[in-house]
Amino acid sequence: MNSKKVRWLAAPYGLWMAGFIVIPLLMIFFYGLTDRNGAFTLSNLFSIAAPEHMKALILSLLLSAVSTVICLIVAYPLALILRSRNIGKGGLMVFIFILPMWMNFLLRTMAWQTLLERNGVINALLAALRLPPIAIINTPAAIVLGMVYNFLPFMILPVYNALAKIGDDVINAAKDLGADERQVLIRILMPLSVPGIVSGITMVFVPALTTFVISNLLGGSKILLIGNVIEQEFTRGSNWNLGAGLSMVLMVFILLSMALLGRYDKSGEGGAF
Amino acid sequence: MKKTRFRKFLEDFYLVLTLLFLYAPIVVMMVLSFNGSKSRSQWGGFTFEWYRHMFESASIVEALYNTLLIAFLSALIATVLGTAAALGIGSMKKVTKSVYMGVNNIPMLNSDIVTGISLMLMFIAFGVSLGFKTILLAHISFNVPYVLLSVMPKLKQTSRSTYEAALDLGAEPVTAFFKVVFPDIMPGVLSGFLMAFTMSLDDFIITHFTRGAGINTLSTLIYSEVRRGIRPTMYALSTVIFVTVLTLLLIANFSPAKHPSRSDGGAGAALTRKAPGGNSFQRFVLIAAAFLVVAGVSGVTWQHLTASASDELYVYNWGEYIDESVIDRFTEETGIQVTYDLFETNEEMYPVIEAGAVRYDVVCPSDYMIQRMAENELLAEINFDNVPNIANIGPEYMEWSRAFDPDNLYSVPYTWGTVGIIYNTKRIEELGVPAPTKWADLWDERYAGEILMQDSVRDAFTVALKRLGYSLNSTDPAELREAADLLLAQKPLVQAYVVDQVRDKMLNGEAAVGVIYSGELLYLREEAEALGLDYELEYVVPEEGTNIWIDSWVIPYNARNKENAEKWINFLCRPDIAKKNFEYITYATPNFAARWILDEDQRRDPDVFPDLTQMTNSEVYRYLGTEAEDRYNELWKEIKAQ
Repeated sequence: MNSKKVRWLAAPYGLWMAGFIVIPLLMIFFYGLTDRNGAFTLSNLFSIAAPEHMKALILSLLLSAVSTVICLIVAYPLALILRSRNIGKGGLMVFIFILPMWMNFLLRTMAWQTLLERNGVINALLAALRLPPIAIINTPAAIVLGMVYNFLPFMILPVYNALAKIGDDVINAAKDLGADERQVLIRILMPLSVPGIVSGITMVFVPALTTFVISNLLGGSKILLIGNVIEQEFTRGSNWNLGAGLSMVLMVFILLSMALLGRYDKSGEGGAF
Repeated sequence: MKKTRFRKFLEDFYLVLTLLFLYAPIVVMMVLSFNGSKSRSQWGGFTFEWYRHMFESASIVEALYNTLLIAFLSALIATVLGTAAALGIGSMKKVTKSVYMGVNNIPMLNSDIVTGISLMLMFIAFGVSLGFKTILLAHISFNVPYVLLSVMPKLKQTSRSTYEAALDLGAEPVTAFFKVVFPDIMPGVLSGFLMAFTMSLDDFIITHFTRGAGINTLSTLIYSEVRRGIRPTMYALSTVIFVTVLTLLLIANFSPAKHPSRSDGGAGAALTRKAPGGNSFQRFVLIAAAFLVVAGVSGVTWQHLTASASDELYVYNWGEYIDESVIDRFTEETGIQVTYDLFETNEEMYPVIEAGAVRYDVVCPSDYMIQRMAENELLAEINFDNVPNIANIGPEYMEWSRAFDPDNLYSVPYTWGTVGIIYNTKRIEELGVPAPTKWADLWDERYAGEILMQDSVRDAFTVALKRLGYSLNSTDPAELREAADLLLAQKPLVQAYVVDQVRDKMLNGEAAVGVIYSGELLYLREEAEALGLDYELEYVVPEEGTNIWIDSWVIPYNARNKENAEKWINFLCRPDIAKKNFEYITYATPNFAARWILDEDQRRDPDVFPDLTQMTNSEVYRYLGTEAEDRYNELWKEIKAQ
């Protein structure tokens, strides 16, 4: 088929993107750069420097970075194991890691509350084993746990995909040339899976950075993340302009992630899906 | 690769551990779905009650249909759109291609909240009324990127030469595409569809901002229930969904495979790598799709059958703020079809009415918000000739309403109550503290880690302002600063800031004291009794005075069915209906005639129906204007960020 004609197949989606991605984004810019009376202002953007917003942003960056690292540490060995055993049951195994996402996100997070509460399931089990109770509900640790739990599949999938793409012959070649297992891991598997790792990092870091539900449910609303600030400006504070302005600041981090992704993953091959 | 036994054991152990982590909450939900008690940490015996309730509840069945239909349609449309786009992009020049891919990445990388809000802003700006179609459009938008990213790698692997060979052998381009290219990219298309379906199913935030009147998906339904505690029915529903999916998956996986699929790269790879996994996955998708088409079609038919009346009424109310049978009864008696929709906070409701994104006929906001709406000319005067049952509303409540509706023109009281302290008698005994009687007791250090505060600006400030002896409608910066400092000093003692979870947490014995709305008491007492708790929950209105709140029905200025709205208000003021609602909501009713027919001990319960004439130091919230509201919000953020 003529490649010029084929190009037009992308036109419907091009229009769609203009209508449902670009225009909504411009709406955010419009609100973010005006005040309540519609006059141009930069104060919504600069308000990120206000101490309470700055604190929330730094805490969000910190917690989501910690969650991302934990996700990577948990997911990488898992993906390696899955890779080495994919014959026959690979499809099923990976599917099992997506399956929890078919249970509602809010319910899953609520269920963690039930597990972690002072009189919750875990403490009941610990008491039965005569172990001291844990008290992590309503602390940053509980939020990190919630983030890791909810976003772990987003790390497992791209890393696994990247690893699964590496042919066994590449590894065998390395071994024939005298590499031991450690060297295979560090010099072959890890470098070749970088696109998957980068894509996993973005896919965990961004939603973790902007979440507000997890911090509300597991943090007892005592811990204010930047996502909570934005959500409250829209749903409770009735200051949409400030909410939009802060969202624009958050987009800077998203642009940074996109740049990072583009650098390591030029053709979208490391994509999770 | 040779492996020692030990290493294999370690690997197995690690797999099991991760699975345990991923599935622990799901197991908890499944267990809770059989729990005879509504509480999340008390076992009340084994029951199938919630499963029965699930199939009987029209709202749950409808939400399930909506969820599946939206997930299916959005995934299908996104798959077509995305696959076509992938083909087109594949033959593009580098620059156009990177622009496409860049924009395509935005919804994936942008936070859900920004995507949801930006879509909502656009729909409102262009006057698109929010509803089923806006959710569908939003879901398609965030689904396409997943399809694209899963088809693109597959497309890259197909060789152009086979396609060209087909053309040389005389095939039409379209035939050649479907016979040669399409089978190759099929795994990518299918996994894109499945990913899109999953994302749509799991989405809450974007749906939350783009949905409109009378439409709920499971996520939004569950979120609206968080307000008054999630009913185990939801756990039952999740269990059914989970078991269904798992069964389909297992059937697909263990039926004999015919031909191995060949593939690698992309998610298709993840899911279809090597037979029989890949093949079974495809079969699974087909079975699931067939299942959903059936569900979807019956859903549409069902919606069609139920939504045929021309006489209608759009109601906008708080979650769990009416006995559902009352709505059916209203339709039965008047023939008016009710579209019933929920909001979580006054502040969330306001812009919806202001923008006219959805034209509701009757809304139930709180006191100060009614004042704000009236001041901004968003309300229509009620024609009281059509509401003769207003005579049943006690005159003192109409009098209190004058604080926010000076001439009693716009509002008819629906529920009212006080804000006070609830405490666990046994727990405070253990702590060796006397029972709280005043707000100042919430600063007692012996309560460290045992206090539940309200997570709402005005309610939290009420506690501090009243303790200081100021008005809870204060706008004086110095007074507010003082109150904020008090709340900051209190924060280390606070266990959590919660809204409606106060109830569950108090029932579970998580905390000793909590700030709560008086309306929750009857419910809490019933539950405590049903659970057979070994402690009692007592309520006290603090000495310094508190907030008296009133939620009332109002009619927005742009209501299309104003007379029906008045019929609705009149209907709710009927004593038998008001009684039914009171028994369900348990928030005090201002309906004198209804109160008269309640049980003796309920009618005289001083906690539920306090004597308003004695509460001289208590106040109703007033709307304070944007400047003061901003000041409150700034201070509150400062407290929360500490």
